[in-house]
Amino acid sequence: MTSTPTLAIGVLRSPRTPRPGIVVLASVLVLGAFALAAVFAPFLAPYDPHAVDFSAIYASPTLAHPLGTDGLGRDTLSRMIYGARTALIAPLIVVFASTVLGILLGLVAGWRGGWLDAALGRLFDLVFAFPALLLAIMAVALFGKGLVAPVIAMIIAYVPYVARLTRSLVAAERSRPYVSAYRVQGFGGAWIALRRVLPNVTPVVGAQSTLNFGYVLAELAALSFLGLGVQPPTADWGAMINESQAGLLGGHFLPAIVPAVAVVIVVVAVNIIGEALSDRIGGGMPA
Amino acid sequence: MNVLEIDALAIALPDGRRLLHGISLSVAAGETVALVGESGSGKSLTARAVLGLLPDRAETTGSVRVQGREVLGAGGKELLGIRRHDAAMIFQDPRASINPMRTIGDHLTESLRFCEGWDRGRARERAIELLAAVRLPSPEDRFRQYPFELSGGMLQRVMIAGALTSSPELLVCDEPTTALDVTTQAEIITLLTELRASRGMGMLFITHDLNLAASMCDRVYVMRAGAVEEQGTARQVLTAPRAEYTRRLVAATPTLTSAGPAPARSGPAVSADEPPTPMLSVRGLSKTYHRSGKSPVAAVVAASLEIPRGGTLAVVGESGSGKSTLARMIVGLEQADEGDIVVDGTNRTAVPRTRDERLAHARSVQMVFQDPYLSLDPRIPAGRAIEDALRLHRRMTATDAAARARDLLEVVGLDAGHAHARPRTLSGGQRQRVAIARALAIEPDVLVLDEATSALDVSVQAQVLEVVARIRGERGLTVLMISHDLAVVRRVCDHTVVMRRGEIVERGETGPMLDDPQHPYTRLLIDSVPHPVMS
Repeated sequence: MTSTPTLAIGVLRSPRTPRPGIVVLASVLVLGAFALAAVFAPFLAPYDPHAVDFSAIYASPTLAHPLGTDGLGRDTLSRMIYGARTALIAPLIVVFASTVLGILLGLVAGWRGGWLDAALGRLFDLVFAFPALLLAIMAVALFGKGLVAPVIAMIIAYVPYVARLTRSLVAAERSRPYVSAYRVQGFGGAWIALRRVLPNVTPVVGAQSTLNFGYVLAELAALSFLGLGVQPPTADWGAMINESQAGLLGGHFLPAIVPAVAVVIVVVAVNIIGEALSDRIGGGMPA
Repeated sequence: MNVLEIDALAIALPDGRRLLHGISLSVAAGETVALVGESGSGKSLTARAVLGLLPDRAETTGSVRVQGREVLGAGGKELLGIRRHDAAMIFQDPRASINPMRTIGDHLTESLRFCEGWDRGRARERAIELLAAVRLPSPEDRFRQYPFELSGGMLQRVMIAGALTSSPELLVCDEPTTALDVTTQAEIITLLTELRASRGMGMLFITHDLNLAASMCDRVYVMRAGAVEEQGTARQVLTAPRAEYTRRLVAATPTLTSAGPAPARSGPAVSADEPPTPMLSVRGLSKTYHRSGKSPVAAVVAASLEIPRGGTLAVVGESGSGKSTLARMIVGLEQADEGDIVVDGTNRTAVPRTRDERLAHARSVQMVFQDPYLSLDPRIPAGRAIEDALRLHRRMTATDAAARARDLLEVVGLDAGHAHARPRTLSGGQRQRVAIARALAIEPDVLVLDEATSALDVSVQAQVLEVVARIRGERGLTVLMISHDLAVVRRVCDHTVVMRRGEIVERGETGPMLDDPQHPYTRLLIDSVPHPVMS
């Protein structure tokens, strides 16, 4: 027996704002600016990020060096602009790869269920037991310094987050009558899973994955700060903070603060966008 | 003094949408007043306004007085007083309205203990008294149980008992029996009627069921689009409706007594000398669910039925009777433990192994699901859904499929413009038409309608049933209809089987069976359908 819907629930809910808020808009602009800076770094940066200038060591902000210089006289603004490249591209790779892998594994686990679901579930639990950063450090210990090994380790570490969310969404979707309707029409299981259920869960998972970007960025910066990720003299935000430690003791804060603030701004912006996406898409899913 | 007096109540949302346009109604002590309307008519909104449950930031004008006290604009304290002592409400779905983590006892005693300051023992005594008053068997045991241990009907009794803890002068019932089986509905209605009489309460009864309203209420208000269309005594509204809308509503409401338009009999005539082979034949079908740690449930026990080519058969029963499981086995969503399903001479019992078998199975049986809000993929526009089905079963170009999909939409009474509409932009009736068109796209031998109209308003239900009848007439489709609604069955099907707890208890031609039921259970079902009292 079913109940006739007697009350328009939508009516009782306060109407949703049709346009994204000013904060979300600002976050998109900030992130866009950083992305453009990374892409067009050679045209935007006033100096070569590696150009050493012993005449201007720890220079204060001037017109020539808007954000000052570091202990080797390198222009901090230029290094920050170039640093945006590794800071943005590495998390992007991690988020993209972990989302693709996670969605596929989650789809298999949620759709097939049974022993496969149980086995994958235990595997994910195992990976969950290791913090992502620890996994990355272990990868560096095994395969040497650089960005490749930590990125792969981070991909592995983030797959379970995506896979678990996908699995629960797919499992819920699988029991919905529209899936039964497809079956009755004669569509095969693989077709339903890949062509119909997958696109229905992808927006939600994608929005959640956006939130991972911020964590990955911060963790990779931490790795570079520890001297295990991007190696000097390459400009990278984490590495820049690491290199400016000596300056901090001497009272030269700017070379450390600039990359640190850049990390914070990007992470916050990405999280705001990710949450806005989740809210929007989560609300649009079928009840 | 009337217990409830609503005068020119209007509610508008901040964005300017007007939900109610000046509703006026009154309920006297000891009187039952029905508020009847289809979904979106504003009847629930009106009922909720009585207890001060208004939409966020709604602007209201007019007045709502309970026992002479104004509800609109009343402060928190005043509103609490009204809700605690003067008016109580019973909601539609008891399972959703009772905290699942607390016992029945908690539910009943908390308001007494925390609002009235009664001690535990006295509250318990009163709660058990009330449970007995709503005629729950062994109230002491119920007191300790959790909601999941009780059936829907029992829970609705608990909710009624909860509403009575404050001895209200006014009881607002918002579709209190819609989620219940027809026999349970009859029991709850009897109970409510008795309680109202013994306590002299006023009762405002919200329902979409005109027959139910007429059978138990003194006066009826018919609502539509936020306004009262008509009001009067139950008898007058039902037999001599003045408003055009009420007239249509009465005509659309299927009844047990008047058969309405006779079911269209069609299909190719079978020549007399060869015995007619049934289109669908089910023999000794059984299904038992084994639950870990509990006794197995026999959902369907040795069910057999036959439908001739072009015939219509209804399977009638209450929830848990196994009628849906039977339907799901026939369309291949569930695997039968025993028995055979034969469609047009081909055995369709086994799970299809290959793609060809799967498609052949789909072409033999199609199903229209109960809830059109859930059975359509939310992301796929109506036209695409039909094209997908078409192109799965037939080689055709995208343009041909799109053209055919438009034709099918027209067959079910929609137009080409709906082809691009996503399900959420369509109404319930439109969605169900899309679902029917999608099933027809596959050109099945047998169409199974699983409670296909029970989620729809009566006027929409009538339209959808008309579509089905017309298609049957045109295409000679064989229809198996799963329903709990005897009145709908009478309107549509030539033959009916009645199921109870997995077993078929009675079968026969629909008209004679409903006029002269043989099995006591069939008789109980028929007697439970609300009959308007014409006195």
